[in-house]
Amino acid sequence: MAVVQTDAPEMYTGEGFGLTRLEKIVGLARANSIWPLPFATSCCGIEFMATMASTYDLARFGSERLSFSPRQADLLMVMGTIAKKMGPILKQVYLQMAEPRWVIAVGACASSGGIFDTYSVLQGIDKVIPVDVYVPGCPPPPEAILDGILKIQELVKHETFRRRNSEEYKALLAGYGID
Amino acid sequence: MAENKNIEKISGNNKVIINGQLQTDADLSQYNYLNLGPTHPATHGIFQNVLKMDGEVIIEAQPTIGYIHRAFEKLAEHRPFYQVTPITDRMNYCSSPINNIGWYLTVEKLIGVEMPKRVDYMRVVIMELARIADHIVCNSVIAVDTGALTGFLYVFQWREKIYEIYEEICGARLTTNIGRIGGFERDFTPAVIDRINDLVKHLPKALKEFEKMVMRNRIFMDRTIKVGGISAERALAYGFTGPNLRAAGVDYDVRVMTPYCSYEDFAFDIPVGTQGDTYDRFCVREEEMWQSLRIIEQAMKNMPDGNYFADVPEFYLPPKEDVYNTMEGLIWHFKIVMVK
Amino acid sequence: MDNKVDNALIESLVQEQFPDAIRGIEEHYGMLDIITRRENSVEILQWLKEHSLLQFNFLTSLCGMHFPDNAGEELSVVYHLHSFSNNVRIRVHIFFPINDPVVRSITHIWPAANWMERETFDFFGIKFTGHPDLRTILNMDNLGYHPLLKQYPLEDGTRTDKEDKYFGR
Repeated sequence: MAVVQTDAPEMYTGEGFGLTRLEKIVGLARANSIWPLPFATSCCGIEFMATMASTYDLARFGSERLSFSPRQADLLMVMGTIAKKMGPILKQVYLQMAEPRWVIAVGACASSGGIFDTYSVLQGIDKVIPVDVYVPGCPPPPEAILDGILKIQELVKHETFRRRNSEEYKALLAGYGID
Repeated sequence: MAENKNIEKISGNNKVIINGQLQTDADLSQYNYLNLGPTHPATHGIFQNVLKMDGEVIIEAQPTIGYIHRAFEKLAEHRPFYQVTPITDRMNYCSSPINNIGWYLTVEKLIGVEMPKRVDYMRVVIMELARIADHIVCNSVIAVDTGALTGFLYVFQWREKIYEIYEEICGARLTTNIGRIGGFERDFTPAVIDRINDLVKHLPKALKEFEKMVMRNRIFMDRTIKVGGISAERALAYGFTGPNLRAAGVDYDVRVMTPYCSYEDFAFDIPVGTQGDTYDRFCVREEEMWQSLRIIEQAMKNMPDGNYFADVPEFYLPPKEDVYNTMEGLIWHFKIVMVK
Repeated sequence: MDNKVDNALIESLVQEQFPDAIRGIEEHYGMLDIITRRENSVEILQWLKEHSLLQFNFLTSLCGMHFPDNAGEELSVVYHLHSFSNNVRIRVHIFFPINDPVVRSITHIWPAANWMERETFDFFGIKFTGHPDLRTILNMDNLGYHPLLKQYPLEDGTRTDKEDKYFGR
């Protein structure tokens, strides 16, 4: 089984000590222990099950602990079609998550509505919540979902402490009607 | 955007409506009301349940469904027959090939085309593989829901092997769009045949291992036996089909009663439950996987020679060299492409 | 079996029992299709279920249909019945005008009809009298129209990545 090695952040090292910025260490720790909340509604959820299972093994990336409660989750993985009836519930789940939180839209339906350009389907979850990473595919293969997770890890690793307090971020949330 | 009224009723004021009945103050003080779902990990397939409970016993429940309503009907109205197949993939996405082939059979009946035996056998192999893949999801996830993750990890390796067979046949893993109306786009390649034979040889060991782990497990049995039991009469009145109906004790299987795709050529048993509870449903599915393996084995052994498509000149495009070299081929080509 | 139940036998039995209520009996692809009036549909369905020989004990499906060009009979409800003991399937059809979409419920015959009737109400606006809890089932509560009627559009309209020129519009 492949073990993912993460390089240590840039450091000033001496005998028995290393100096770096706190946020780099925090980012490193966060990135490799993401607790995902699988918001799996349909087909992509089955591919996510395959991603979780033995062949693809999401646990290699430190994300094997699924958090079905939004309160403890770091990453909202939206997999599958989100109907308009589901939209408010998705938003509610997002609001219940504590900062810092990330969102990944897995599959064509979650990203844009996919083939379901119909009266009942939300045309992409970015109509109700902000999204960090989109994974294309109908459904995306487990490799693509893993790639999406790695992309999220990159984001997490390099996020500054100030981002969540910045004006841009507040404006982004305000754009979705979230205070 | 719609507000979810049921959630509001539970969390906001004290107005609770269950199955059209406004709950009285006496009810509200006597019973507990619990909102389960739609994002609860146990509500597979997404539904909401507002439960009326006396202690831990559920007295009544109001289910709300439609959280993944995707308007298949309206989509299909707007598409030609062959473009409907990708929609059927996404109906029961655990076993897409069965949906695909169900749709093909319907259209073939409509246009009155007979399939050659080889197509039937190839379809049977694919459908039984899909049945195994579907039952693996059902049975391993019920084990996960009752607290045993290990079995899930064991059998999912084998589900991947079935996906590999799909990939070899049609190029897709989950939403397969396998075959065509009127047969297949290509024959089984030697790699497909090797993989299927390999699966038939090695899956029994994994299944046995899984059964050993779960089937007689005390915790699993305690949590599933006499849980959610449904009598045969009730199952019929409520329109149950498939393994759920058989678990309730009705020995009805459409593969036997109205054989399609040459199912009459194969010897297999129909497992039937007695209680109709969760454990019976689990056991029926488990046994159906064994029977599916039997069918696949027979089909692979007796696979007849012949065409992998129905050679119907009205619908089947002539080979390209005929179109370019013979007048007759060209006329047929244009007749199908321009007229149909 | 002596009395093998086939389409001809069902047809003669139904004609004999309900000579006035049957508008027509057709056979498509081997399946019998009984077209009746909505005043009699519930009695016919009940009789089909309780008949000692026919025993249509299983309601496979119940759904609505909309034919906008069929003036005066725009809407239709189809019942698919299945007799397990005889292994025969039939269809029962009723037609009625769109400005009077009221049908009697059959939930007392088959509880399975409960959700199917709710679905038919949801999509076609057909009201079933006697249904215990006729609400929308799949659509949102406040959708405000019945989307499977032909006059309503399929597409959502809020989609931004779909350019008309790629769809020949």
